[in-house]
Amino acid sequence: MGLGGGRVRFNVGGQVFETTTTTLANAGRDSMLGALLDSSWNLAPTISGGGGGGGGGGVAEYFIDRNPACFAVLLDLLRTGSLHVPPQLPEKLLYREALYYGLLDHVRAARWGAFDGDRLLLAASVPGRAPGDGTAIRAAPDGGCCVAHGGAVHVYNWMLDERRPVSLDHSQVNDVAYLDEGTLLIAARERLGSMMEAWPCSPRFNEYGIGVWDRASGEQADFFYEPPGCALGDADKLQWLDATNALMVATLFPKTDNCFIGLLDFRQKNVVWSWSDAGTAASLDDKRVLHAIAMEDERSVCVINQYDDLGFLDFRSNAGGVRWSSRSKLMNRKVPGEESCYPKLSTHGGQLFSSMNDSISVFSGPECVLTSTLRRSNGGAICDFSIGGDRLFALHNEENVFDVWETPPPPII
Amino acid sequence: MSGGGPPRKRNFKIEEFKNRVELNPKYAERTWKVLEHAIHEIYNHNASGLSFEELYRSAYNMVLHKYGEKLYGGLESTMTRRLKEISRSIEVAQGGLFLEELNTKWMDHNKALQMIRDILMYMDRTYVPSSSRTPVHELGLNLWRDHIIHSPMIHSRLLDTLLDLIHKERMGEVINRGLMRSITKMLMDLGPAVYQDDFEKPFLEVSASFYSGESQEFIQCCDCGNYLKKSERRLNEEMDRVSHYLDAGSEAKITSVVEKEMIANHMHRLVHMENSGLVNMLIDDKYDDLARMYNLFRRVTDGLLTIRNLMTSYLRETGKQLVTDPEKLKDPVEFVQRLLNEKDKHDKIINVAFGNDKTFQNALNSSFEYFINLNNRSPEFISLYVDDKLRKGLKGATEEDVEVILDKVMMLFRYLQEKDVFEKYYKQHLAKRLLSGKTVSDDAERSMIVKLKTECGYQFTSKLEGMFTDMKTSQDTMQDFYAKKSEELGDGPTLDVHILTTGSWPTQPCPPCNLPPEILTICDKFRSYYLGTHSGRRLTWQTNMGTADIKATFGKGQKHELNVSTYQMCVLMLFNSTDGLTYKDIEQYTKIPASDLKRCLQSLACVKGKNVLRKEPMSKDISEDDTFYFNDKFTSKLVKVKIGTVVAQKESEPEKQETRQRVEEDRKPQIEAAIVRIMKSRRVLDHNSIVAEVTKQLQARFLPNPVVIKKRIESLIEREFLERDKTDRKLYTYLA
Repeated sequence: MGLGGGRVRFNVGGQVFETTTTTLANAGRDSMLGALLDSSWNLAPTISGGGGGGGGGGVAEYFIDRNPACFAVLLDLLRTGSLHVPPQLPEKLLYREALYYGLLDHVRAARWGAFDGDRLLLAASVPGRAPGDGTAIRAAPDGGCCVAHGGAVHVYNWMLDERRPVSLDHSQVNDVAYLDEGTLLIAARERLGSMMEAWPCSPRFNEYGIGVWDRASGEQADFFYEPPGCALGDADKLQWLDATNALMVATLFPKTDNCFIGLLDFRQKNVVWSWSDAGTAASLDDKRVLHAIAMEDERSVCVINQYDDLGFLDFRSNAGGVRWSSRSKLMNRKVPGEESCYPKLSTHGGQLFSSMNDSISVFSGPECVLTSTLRRSNGGAICDFSIGGDRLFALHNEENVFDVWETPPPPII
Repeated sequence: MSGGGPPRKRNFKIEEFKNRVELNPKYAERTWKVLEHAIHEIYNHNASGLSFEELYRSAYNMVLHKYGEKLYGGLESTMTRRLKEISRSIEVAQGGLFLEELNTKWMDHNKALQMIRDILMYMDRTYVPSSSRTPVHELGLNLWRDHIIHSPMIHSRLLDTLLDLIHKERMGEVINRGLMRSITKMLMDLGPAVYQDDFEKPFLEVSASFYSGESQEFIQCCDCGNYLKKSERRLNEEMDRVSHYLDAGSEAKITSVVEKEMIANHMHRLVHMENSGLVNMLIDDKYDDLARMYNLFRRVTDGLLTIRNLMTSYLRETGKQLVTDPEKLKDPVEFVQRLLNEKDKHDKIINVAFGNDKTFQNALNSSFEYFINLNNRSPEFISLYVDDKLRKGLKGATEEDVEVILDKVMMLFRYLQEKDVFEKYYKQHLAKRLLSGKTVSDDAERSMIVKLKTECGYQFTSKLEGMFTDMKTSQDTMQDFYAKKSEELGDGPTLDVHILTTGSWPTQPCPPCNLPPEILTICDKFRSYYLGTHSGRRLTWQTNMGTADIKATFGKGQKHELNVSTYQMCVLMLFNSTDGLTYKDIEQYTKIPASDLKRCLQSLACVKGKNVLRKEPMSKDISEDDTFYFNDKFTSKLVKVKIGTVVAQKESEPEKQETRQRVEEDRKPQIEAAIVRIMKSRRVLDHNSIVAEVTKQLQARFLPNPVVIKKRIESLIEREFLERDKTDRKLYTYLA
């Protein structure tokens, strides 16, 4: 608690900083600086009680035995709310100092901006050490991610530090999902399931249908048996639709010859909507649905075929076929003979994302107009990507590397 | 998740910022000693000599160098030691100082905990989550709970003290509410489970036994009203207590204890309490007590149901007495007024005391519906009441007053099951009013018709409206008649004819009497005029319904104008040519039906002050051997003398039978029409369903008797509208 009109003086590692109590209040009581200035630690009648020598000019001076360069950056963050890291200052060093002051969350919040598919910049490329191809990448709610890789899951925090890998006795991992920042769900092949996602209760399935597990107790709570004509047990994609209270299940090429997409109502235990291409696809050259995702308005489902065409199915009509929108212009990029990955789809904040080969396309607006393309020159085809914690993670098939795309903080003016 | 230490692989970079630390094994021990000392100083209120920055850095270094476990363990044991000391100092506190001491120490502990947490903030952020330990603040609370609140010397003493203070307050003493609040807040801070298990549960038990005893005591010595007052006060006290020094979550629990002990357990005894229970409150219009009862009973299961049931049975009982007491049936107007008063009284109770509760309104309505229909003369009486009001009762009343009265009548009307009987009577009464010109206000009459129309539909009132139309056209016709024929008529008597449409009016075919020749001439003139202007019509004279004004000169030259009925006029005109006539003569000359003639003669000869005829022998009743003379001694102060016909205002017994029979006859085609309507749409239906549907369709007008419905079905089968199913005798089929 400085005197002199709320002014506070710090001597950090020999360098003197002067600021106001108002600025420091931005740090919050639950930080080192908040506690330092709290009245319970400043009962001493003499100014020198603050730990440092008595400062000049009637202003209290606190001595802190830390790196002054980092303190300058953090003080600037408290003053302005934005983070500016000088080029010569290593980020990890800043993070460590922020942790000391209890300001890591402030740094995290200022480090990158709110997600916007059209303003993404490549923030980092993280090489992995694991052999073989990655299976899946999933974004954590706090900006970290995990990569399923053979028999293990590699977990990264938002600072992209790798933590100890997790595994289920090193059996083949099919999919992973974040229940919350601290809880990870893993589906491995030895177990019944082949895939799952994070919902209030987590369904996964076996060859007979789809089971539902309670999130808190871990007990199986429900089971949806496969009705005739609907392939549920081998589904590629499960998606919970909040507004309609239904589960979208998609069983797709090449796992099956006939693609099936259905909406399940778990309370009624019936299929409320379904689509299948059984009987329409004759040869391998026909357009086959490779991935599907329900749009955020939950009125339609977006699908993609082997020619990277986007197609739409309307949930409100039961008879309609796929409405394909041609993207021949984009197909030109496809290099024949090169090893490619099946395309993937994702939605976020009203935008649609689709991966094809080595790039990710961003489509915006109700008509899904192509507005951005994310591509790195090397790394090979993208086998999976995931959006979360205001970041986009793209896992490359070759070289075992994943890219992190972020939206930069908003411009100054 | 931000765990672990800083990345080790970049050691070379961060080394220059790190504190120079010799890896001296004694380092950790020494650092901990510093921190331990600080913790003790904090508890000793001696923190002013401590440097936060230094302590924070020390704790940071311990965690950084993997001594987190030692730091955490040290904290736990140091704090435990301090709390044990505190526990001893609380234990020795005497009597009333016990809570004070506990509270003071709790405040100290909180303060210390905050400061300790400040120092160990880095450990809290990094070591605690990664090793799944309890955070420092929570640890401090848990230790306080285990070593202070759950210490055997304090645990029961604390509970007893709290309960004792609450008991004292219930008995009227003033206690330190602020201190109580701090202590309960402490228990809540330690976790809802601590508050509930160590205080709330025993508190509720003690309260239950307290109120169980108190309610026994109250119910022995208080009447219902006072008991409810006391219960209400107790309930408010408990809510006040919760708001002042208990957790808000306790309110529902403690009020439910009071409700159960004070109200639910004594509910039946309270409402049935002699001389002060619910019925007495209703009789005496004790709005305050009733409102209190309603508000208290509403809080418990079946509370309102108990009130409602008792109120319903009371209403039905008193209503039944009201409608079946032969004494009260003598005056129909009074009878209906009593019903209306009863309704008003209870409407007000429900409005004022029961918050206009819909279920109570329904109970009131169903009770009225129940007992009004116990007396099958209710429709007649209600019609008579309206008749009375529309004849004279509304004189001087404003339009709004009229509306209010009519609305109230409509309310009673709604309760009637036999609405068609009402219609029948209403028609009769309306006809009398219109023909005798006794209607006070045309607007009021029309308003009543509109109300009936909205209630029962167009059909119900079409004939009533027809009566009004007839009155209007008659007036126009008479004007036209006199305008066109006045020169033909000369000085003869003036004729005023009401032309009534057959069917709209409750007329019985009755042979016309012999009219005096003077009248007959003009009647014939009118007949030829009317038939001349309206072709294809038939006129029948209803001499039983007319009136006449005649001038008479009596003995001393007194001239009077007599207002009499047509029958009376016919009789009187006979005395123009003779002074005395026998009953037989009169009957022969006039051809008036015997019963009407007797009534007419009775009113002319036997009513004091209006006896324009003299009868021999003098007696009250008319016999066929009587002789009648012109009474030239007749005197009256009035120039105009109205001689009423002696008629029972209420129907006589045979008339009643007749009306009933006519109603039954009218119902037959309605029931048949309903059956045919239903069968036409359903084609095949079983007996019980038909009965149910017919009842449903007709209940707006009357409640058809199942036996009658069965008879109608049989009749329809005879007339081949329906047939029985050949296999299932209970099924009927519609024959198109």
